[in-house]
Amino acid sequence: MTGIELWFADFCDKFYTCFIRDDRYKLLVSGVGVTIKVSLLAVIIGILIGMLVAISNLSNNKLLKAIGGIYTDVIRGTPSVTQLMVIYFVIFATVNLDKWIIASIAFGVNSGAYVSEIIRGGILSVDHGQTEAGRSLGLNAFQTMTRIVIPQAVKNIFPALCNEFIVLIKETAIVGYVGLMDIQKAGDFIKSATFEPGMPLFGTAVIYYVLIKILTLTLRQVENHLRKSDAR
Amino acid sequence: MIKVKNLHKKFGDLMVLNGIDEHISQGEVVVIIGPSGSGKSTFLRCLNLLEDVTEGEIYVDDELINTPKVNINVVRQKMGMVFQQFNLFPHLTIMDNITLAPVLLKKMTKEEAVKKGQELLERVNLAEKADAYPAQLSGGQKQRVAIARALAMNPEIMLFDEPTSALDPEMVGEVLDVMKDLAKSGMTMVIVTHEMGFAREVASRVLFIDQGVIMESGTPQEVFSDPKNERTKLFLSKVL
Repeated sequence: MTGIELWFADFCDKFYTCFIRDDRYKLLVSGVGVTIKVSLLAVIIGILIGMLVAISNLSNNKLLKAIGGIYTDVIRGTPSVTQLMVIYFVIFATVNLDKWIIASIAFGVNSGAYVSEIIRGGILSVDHGQTEAGRSLGLNAFQTMTRIVIPQAVKNIFPALCNEFIVLIKETAIVGYVGLMDIQKAGDFIKSATFEPGMPLFGTAVIYYVLIKILTLTLRQVENHLRKSDAR
Repeated sequence: MIKVKNLHKKFGDLMVLNGIDEHISQGEVVVIIGPSGSGKSTFLRCLNLLEDVTEGEIYVDDELINTPKVNINVVRQKMGMVFQQFNLFPHLTIMDNITLAPVLLKKMTKEEAVKKGQELLERVNLAEKADAYPAQLSGGQKQRVAIARALAMNPEIMLFDEPTSALDPEMVGEVLDVMKDLAKSGMTMVIVTHEMGFAREVASRVLFIDQGVIMESGTPQEVFSDPKNERTKLFLSKVL
C-alpha cells in the first residue's frame, strides 16, 4: 500500500474507534445540546444584566453607578473559570438547581459585564437630537428610550453583540470544570477512553467551528434585515 | 398664548438669556433674528423646556409650565418643534415617523393617524414618500417631513429652530413655502431664522435678540426699515 492509502486506512480506523464504536458519537451529540442550552440561557441572562447595568451607568444615581462599576471591574479582572467555580461551588453550593442552569448563570453574569459596556456605547452613539425630537413630540423619557433610541442603538451595536455571543459559546468549553458534559468534555472523555488524542480534539474543533459558522451566517441575515432603513 | 416673564438661562457661568419678557398671542408669526450666540435658539428651546430655565416664568395658555407640578409631556403635545438638523427617526418609514407620537400617546387610532399622515404629506407635497426611509430623502424633503411630523399632533403652536440653516440653497425655498402656507392657515408660530426676506414677508412681528435680551420688537416694517436700536441697525447693515 502507498503512504496515502496507509494514512487513510489509519484515519478510518481512528475515526471508527473514536466516534462510531460503542456509540461514542452520542456523547458528542448530547454535548452539543449542553453547549447550546448553556450558551442560549447565558446570552439571555447576559443581555438582561447588561441592559440593567448600562442603564445604571447612564443614570444619575451614584449608588447604582458604583454597583455597576464594581461589578464590571471584578468580572473583567478575574478569569471566567474562577468565576464559574465560585458561583457553582460557593454561591450556589446549597441551591438545588440543575447544573446547566447554574453554569448559565455564571456565564451570563460574566457576559453581562461586557454586554453592558457595548449597550452603553450603543445608547451614547445615538444622536442627542433624536431624544430631543422624541421629547418635543410629547413622548416621555421611557417611550423615547424604547421607541427611538434603543432600536437605533441595537442596530449600531449588533455586530459587537454578535461577537460577544461567539466568544461566549467558546467560553462555555470550561463547563467541564463543574462536571457538565459539553462538546469539549465529551471530546476529552473519548480521548481518555481511546488513548487517541488527535481525532477527538479535531472532532471537537470541527463541531464548534460549524456551530459558530451557522450562528454567524444567521446573525448576518438578521443584520441585513436591520439595515434595510439605511438603503439609499 | 405664551407669556415669558424675566427669563434667565445660564450654561455654567455663562449667562445666555438675561431677562426676557415677551408675550406671544394666538395667530402671531413671530420671527426671531439676531447674531450667532445671541441666545435666540436658547430662548426658543426654553419655550418647550428642552432647556431647563435658570430663573423666570413661562406660561402656556396661562399655565405656568416650568414647575415640577406640571407634566411637561402634556404641554409639549401642544407645541410642535422643527429642528435645524431635522432629527427624523432614521429607523422608521416616513409614515411611521409621522404616526408614532399620535398613536403612542393615544391621540388617534392607527387608522386615523395614517389618514392624517397622508393629508399632511400631501400638504407638504411628499405624498409618494410615505413608505420611504429618511435616508432616501433630500434635506429639503426631510425638513418638510419634520414639519408634517410636528403637525400630526395637532399642535397649537409651532416652534422652528433655524429650519433652513442646514439646507442646500436650492432647497430653502420649498421649506419656506410650506411655512408660509402654515402661517396663512393661522398657526401660531415662533421662528428663529437668518432668512430676512422670509421674515419681512411672513412675520407679524420681528424680535431682535442680542446679548440675551430682546433689543427690539415690532412689525417687519418697523424693525427692518426704521430700527431704533443701534445694535439692530449694526446687525441689519451686515445681513441685509
